[in-house]
Amino acid sequence: MIKQGQSLWSDAWRRLKKDRIAMVCLGLVVLFTLLAVYGEVVYFYHHAKDITPAYQKINLDLAYQAPGAAHWMGTDGLGRDVMQRLVQGVRIAYKVGIITSLIAIPIGVLLGCLAGFYGGKVDDFVVWLYSTFASMPGLLFILAIAMVVPENGLLGVYLGIGLTTWVGLCRLVRGEVLKHKEQTYVQAAKALGLGSGRIMFKHILPNILHVIIVTFTLRFPAAVGTEVIMSYLGIGVQGEPSWGLMIDSARMRLWQGMWWEMTFVTLALFLLVLAFNLLGDALRDALDPRLDD
Amino acid sequence: MLKYILKRTVQMVPTVIGVILLTFVLFNIVPNDLAAIALGKNVTLEMLENFDQQRGLNKPLFLGTRAKNRAYEDHNLADGAGRWRAWSNAVYSAATATLTIQPGAAINPLAFPLKDGEYEWTATYRGQGNLAGTELDAADWQTEKVRFQTMGEAGFATAGNPLEIKALKLRRITTNPFDSQLFFYFKQLMRGDLGFSEYFKQPVSRLLLDGIPASLSLTIPIFIIGVVVSISLSLVCAFFRNTFIDRFLVVIAVALMSINYLIYIVAGQYLLAYKQGLFPVWGYESWRYLVLPVLIGVVSGLGSNIRFYRTVMLDEMYKEYVRTAFAKGVSKPRVLFVHVLKNAMIPIITNVVIAIPFLYTGSLLLENFFGIPGLGYLGINAILSSDIDVVRALVLIGALLFVVANLLTDICYAVADPRVKLK
Repeated sequence: MIKQGQSLWSDAWRRLKKDRIAMVCLGLVVLFTLLAVYGEVVYFYHHAKDITPAYQKINLDLAYQAPGAAHWMGTDGLGRDVMQRLVQGVRIAYKVGIITSLIAIPIGVLLGCLAGFYGGKVDDFVVWLYSTFASMPGLLFILAIAMVVPENGLLGVYLGIGLTTWVGLCRLVRGEVLKHKEQTYVQAAKALGLGSGRIMFKHILPNILHVIIVTFTLRFPAAVGTEVIMSYLGIGVQGEPSWGLMIDSARMRLWQGMWWEMTFVTLALFLLVLAFNLLGDALRDALDPRLDD
Repeated sequence: MLKYILKRTVQMVPTVIGVILLTFVLFNIVPNDLAAIALGKNVTLEMLENFDQQRGLNKPLFLGTRAKNRAYEDHNLADGAGRWRAWSNAVYSAATATLTIQPGAAINPLAFPLKDGEYEWTATYRGQGNLAGTELDAADWQTEKVRFQTMGEAGFATAGNPLEIKALKLRRITTNPFDSQLFFYFKQLMRGDLGFSEYFKQPVSRLLLDGIPASLSLTIPIFIIGVVVSISLSLVCAFFRNTFIDRFLVVIAVALMSINYLIYIVAGQYLLAYKQGLFPVWGYESWRYLVLPVLIGVVSGLGSNIRFYRTVMLDEMYKEYVRTAFAKGVSKPRVLFVHVLKNAMIPIITNVVIAIPFLYTGSLLLENFFGIPGLGYLGINAILSSDIDVVRALVLIGALLFVVANLLTDICYAVADPRVKLK
């Protein structure tokens, strides 16, 4: 049966709404996004006014308080509220997820489009470039990039993750563009005498947007996970409450029975990654019209 | 077959060159001062120059006959007096960004004695004086190149009149334009020389050889157990497709995938080793020390592997030969374990062979947490202590092994599926 007046997006949304798990995940993602925005506002407010925010204030009298009415998730070794630091951790995680995407996705899309559309020498070059990057040993390569970046801290994390994770998307986009290039609407656009750039970015790109959206949703949690590991190792965030640093400080205390910081950070990290992973899977199913019922 | 292997090997060459170039870009071009990263803060310029000398960093990048030298580093006078603050008879003016050498002065601005060779000053000056044995005399601003040998005088001397300087740089003159950092790196690799660890004061190749056995003792069990368990579980999924067991395993797989590697290690160490006392917490003395890291390694990889193999199996399940087999009355287990598994071999081979290079780099995190003295342990510590040569060697060898594993995959393809060769 053909339904009239339904775009791909409303169609996809209809399919997504039917998937109860996906909707729960979407809710979680929205919740985390709100927390990240709230965290950014709090950070920005304290930063602009140049005062020490509560999540950085050291008060040794309050150290290692178990979760209670005053501190829902307890306090850490320096008497700082775990819940407030956790929210700041969401902010850092989102910053990493978004900024690395802003580096990796444009590179992947641009190179993939050029390679798929022009073919020949351009294609050979792009394929060579991504085969080279794909050969590099994952985490070690990311850590090496972060090491040679002059400034320590988040910049190294952004560049390390951003410059290594465009390969998969580039390959996907190239494949899709190759497929679309042969289709009649592209032939028609060519016959009309439209420029290559316009055909690539105005005609083909909107048709492969779903690939980019799904990739974004699935690479986001991967980037967050990598940042946690880097910060834990002391190569990433410094002086700000990243989840990696919180795990680092909570790890030793765990052995003495202070379970709360570890538990809540782990839980938050798990939920964030799980929500994005499941949502990504659901989006892929919803946006792929071939699987239509 | 031989022709196919040869063809694929030749196709591998550009990627190998790409990998070498990428490590060159990462370690020679990106960092503005590799020696400073490696040696830290409290070092003299001469130590930095020696570091550069040893690694060929004091040569031109790609091609050229002029090389920088740390005895007088490029310095823009508009930014300040720099090292000229040391001489009272050289007066710096921030307003005009110039330096005036007073009459009757003799100043040698080099930070340390130069090594043998021919050098060249490029000076933009006004006034009268002497630089490295060459008389300078100009009423208006003029740029002059002054060549000198190491033996002679390298510095400035003025007599009755002052000499003003606007810009100054020092270059070493090399005779061979191909004597560059890139070719130095290539030659080093050709010799099989992977560099020298500043931290351990040992050749990198020695460190790698020492670390490989420990890494392999950890990664090979993880690899084999992981492949067997995940393929078995994916077959279970395929067997019970769309039943509770299948869905349950899929959910478990996604959940396992979403747990951070760090958490597996921390939780495993705390719950199993510390709380339950089932395994030693840290160390590398007997096989018992390996049980927990191997367990963690297997479990952490299980999620994505089950999902991958399940997709592979289900893709095969829809093929016509499967339907034919069922129609002939072949039993379900036989179809799965004989027909499907055999045909699913190609994607499985890819996944398995591609994982081999990672056996060599070991597991960065596992080795670090459990104190297993393998390459992963070496790698993390090299990064934390900025031991450049070790990191570069690990990255390079990891990448080259990946390229070789890719080649092996293609050859396995060709063996498993004769159609591949014809393409």
